[in-house]
Amino acid sequence: MKKVITGDHSVAYGAKLARAEVVAAYPITPQTLIVEHIAEFVSDGEMDAKFMPMESEHSVMSATIAAQAAGARTFTATASQGLAFMHEMLYVAAPLRLPIVMVNVNRTIAYPVGIWCEYNDSMAERDSGWLQVYIENNQEALDMVIQGYMIAEDRRVLLPVMPCMDGFVLSHTVEPVELPAQEDVDVFLPGYEPVYSLDPDNPAVAGSFMPPEYIMEMRRQTMDAVEASKKVIPEVGKKFASRFGRDYGGLVEEIGTEGADVVLMTMGTVTSTAREVIAEFRGRVGLVKLRFYRPFPSDEIRDLGSRFRAIGVFDRSLSYTGGGPVFEEVKAALYGYSDIPVINHLAGLGGRDVTAQEIRKMCELTLRAADGERVSRVNWHATRGVPV
Amino acid sequence: MYEVRFHGRGGQGAVMAAQALAEAAVIEDKYAIAFPFFGAERRGAPVLAFTRIHDQKIYSRTQVYTPDCVVVLDDTLLDTVDITHGIKENGIAVINSTKKPEEIELGRKIRTAAVEATSIALELLKAPITNTAILGAFSRATGIVGIDSVEKAIMSRFGEKLGEVAGRKNAGAARMAYDRTETGMSSGGKEHAIRKQWLPEYRELPVGGVLGARTTDAGLIGPGSFIENKTGEWATFRPVRDRNRCTMCLACWFDCPEGCIIRIDNGKDLRTDYGYCKGCGICANECPVDAITMMRL
Amino acid sequence: MTAMRDLPDENLFVMGHTACPGCGVAISIRNALRILGKNTVVYVPASCGVVFSATYPHAAMKVPFLHTAFENTGACISGLKAAYEKKGKNVNVVGFAGDGGTYDIGLQSVSGAAERNEDVIYICLDNEAYMNTGIQRSGSTPFGAWTTTTPVGKLTRGKREFKKDLPEIMAAHDIPYLATLSVAHPADFIRKVEKAKTISGFRFLHMLTPCVPGWKIDQAKSIEILKLAVDTGMWTLYEFEYGERKVTYRPGKMRFVKDYLMMQGRFRHMSDEDIKRMQGWVCRKWGQHYGEKGSPEVCPVELPAEHHAITEDHRGMHGP
Repeated sequence: MKKVITGDHSVAYGAKLARAEVVAAYPITPQTLIVEHIAEFVSDGEMDAKFMPMESEHSVMSATIAAQAAGARTFTATASQGLAFMHEMLYVAAPLRLPIVMVNVNRTIAYPVGIWCEYNDSMAERDSGWLQVYIENNQEALDMVIQGYMIAEDRRVLLPVMPCMDGFVLSHTVEPVELPAQEDVDVFLPGYEPVYSLDPDNPAVAGSFMPPEYIMEMRRQTMDAVEASKKVIPEVGKKFASRFGRDYGGLVEEIGTEGADVVLMTMGTVTSTAREVIAEFRGRVGLVKLRFYRPFPSDEIRDLGSRFRAIGVFDRSLSYTGGGPVFEEVKAALYGYSDIPVINHLAGLGGRDVTAQEIRKMCELTLRAADGERVSRVNWHATRGVPV
Repeated sequence: MYEVRFHGRGGQGAVMAAQALAEAAVIEDKYAIAFPFFGAERRGAPVLAFTRIHDQKIYSRTQVYTPDCVVVLDDTLLDTVDITHGIKENGIAVINSTKKPEEIELGRKIRTAAVEATSIALELLKAPITNTAILGAFSRATGIVGIDSVEKAIMSRFGEKLGEVAGRKNAGAARMAYDRTETGMSSGGKEHAIRKQWLPEYRELPVGGVLGARTTDAGLIGPGSFIENKTGEWATFRPVRDRNRCTMCLACWFDCPEGCIIRIDNGKDLRTDYGYCKGCGICANECPVDAITMMRL
Repeated sequence: MTAMRDLPDENLFVMGHTACPGCGVAISIRNALRILGKNTVVYVPASCGVVFSATYPHAAMKVPFLHTAFENTGACISGLKAAYEKKGKNVNVVGFAGDGGTYDIGLQSVSGAAERNEDVIYICLDNEAYMNTGIQRSGSTPFGAWTTTTPVGKLTRGKREFKKDLPEIMAAHDIPYLATLSVAHPADFIRKVEKAKTISGFRFLHMLTPCVPGWKIDQAKSIEILKLAVDTGMWTLYEFEYGERKVTYRPGKMRFVKDYLMMQGRFRHMSDEDIKRMQGWVCRKWGQHYGEKGSPEVCPVELPAEHHAITEDHRGMHGP
């Protein structure tokens, strides 16, 4: 069934189709529509879930963790300050190996206070052990909620998954979305079977106080799970594609890269605009959509390093190292493998619109760097007082 | 460099002892550092603290693995902890014990100093806090710091915290222990049965570290497995019940924080499991007919 | 109600736990679990309760146990219950939180769970300071008490503020059941835990739990001090059932609060003036909680210092 809906609405359908059993919720712009829609589904009897209207995001993640530990499939959503308020609990969810799916609708973190898209909220949680996938359109939003559970609940992974979606650009934009049939989703995603659950018939202790003689091993266990997800993500993507006909690629998607001199790496909705812009460069510029930021696709990036003469990296947040976090990690992945120029393009912070003109400039600068011209390594696009 | 490892139980003041020893060394114009193993132990649980003494600045920040001296504030630790672990060849053990060095079983023969620090503490301080007395024994046994410096360090550290009178009393405890310390060789008759620890490789750790109850080669783990932890070792006193006086009112049974007072004979009688009794004395204090007496171990 | 002798023998909080000798929290947890039984799941926030009952790989409780953080007991027990509800399992979900985790950092979470009337039992084990971190003052620490953050110094001596009246805050949530408990009053204790077990909706059990190192008391006196807390009115025993207050135990003779204070190192420095202020506070709380004035020998009728006679001028200012 095709529906013209917002990204938030699409996510709510995803949670419903995945048959999330417990949904703890707290409002925050631009996520609020998601939990409102879920509240309606539950209130109308269309979704068989326990809806928990909590008193803060911290309590949302706490209740979600507890419910998942007791054996329920959980869903929730947040944004920005809400995600920051959950920070402490995010670090509990991953090492406890709870396959929670939570959508983060990207929004700038104060200060300065704003409600529009920036990635500094989710980037700040990159070391929490959550898998992060950045979404390009409303269809992918729905699909990645469903795939999210398949990835999270895979016995090789057992980690929480955070689909990240551009605030307003997707959350409040309507476009056609194909809603899969419940029967098909039920076959693709069977009911949740926890590896452990807190049950008086079979008591277990979770969240113990751990002396140092166990924590290196715990961290290594979680690291292995993150590594294992690199294999599981493309598998789930293929399986999803064969059932529903939509293939998003694995950790990254390449667009028009064949024969290109350079590539521009983008995330989220900027990818969509860039799909049109690169056509202007007659095959000289390819596009790489960085889907998963965790696990970080180091192998794929090394491969790019061996195939192209330069990589332009779009960042929608700043690391205060001078550049953006994606830029830093791309360079780290290439270290010792490739010495091609890597050019950082900072744009769209605080929700400033990333225009076709800016993307064009990103492509040009990356090409000039490939041609041996001296190009600034970090470029602030459309920033008053900063020449590009 | 001279390295000391302190073995004590939470609340006995091993950390304070390690610090006061460092201060005594500094009084003698040496350089010293003292630090605990930062556990989160409650009163009574085994704890570690370390002191390093040198005539130059000390840079090493690791724990002490090859001590010149081990100081044991509580000889009940000897049953479960190999206090001689890693000790240097001519190292020495300083032990709070009612026994003579020759009677103390350490699993091997090493130089050993013994002092009845608990009795001294009970006499002078009216509490079984042995951390100051044991420093007197350390001074006597090793000569690494003089007893005058130990007294000064105790007056300064303990005096600052507990007041001048308490500082002087504690210094007095050190002096008395200094005078009463006996040195000899430990008994090395039998091997120590050291409690095994469950240390799985990371792949063997359950998902999320979440444990159900199960038995490993190191004993029970998971829910209810604290039963492996014989907290009776913590006790200085233990309750003895006069059966003839007892009315079976069950106040002690209800009030026991350990749950080590157990109903037997279909609820007609009680038994105290001394393997776990920490000797708090609540049962004796609450018994309405004074049927329970606390006896010094 | 079950008599003490008919309580089950099985210890769901096993021997070998590492709480301090004489720990009031250990006595309370053990007896509460004895009454709640095996069909119980426990959440404990950051506290001594985590360290002494779940230090890896060991655990003291025989029932399922979860810990995650400090300020979220209300939320975590809500989440656990939600999962059991979905699974159609009827389980007692219990949170054992300290005063810091309830009065202070966890107040939002407990208030949220109470307001939503979650079907859980919240047990506040109140030892009147942050004991796990080494005795720092909390919103529950009584007036005058020494803690490491309310030291007895040259300028100030102990805590200058009075204890927050948490049960009254919880009662204002109109929850189905609320009770104050003391393990030194076993019949009352058993009856209240049993009642909480049978009622559905949010149940708040508030237990005063002496802390040997934190209160600077003799480890044998935890129960004795608890009795004295009740005899002086420093702890009052009552319950609220669906908004209705009922006094469950009132001491025959009210004792001077000084008797309670002088048994504890944390109060021993208090000046006569501070003790008098404390007595005034206790008498006021006694009246509030028990619905009658404290005994006239202990609580003489005295106008508070702030009070002054109402003159004609005042009437003019404030109206009749």
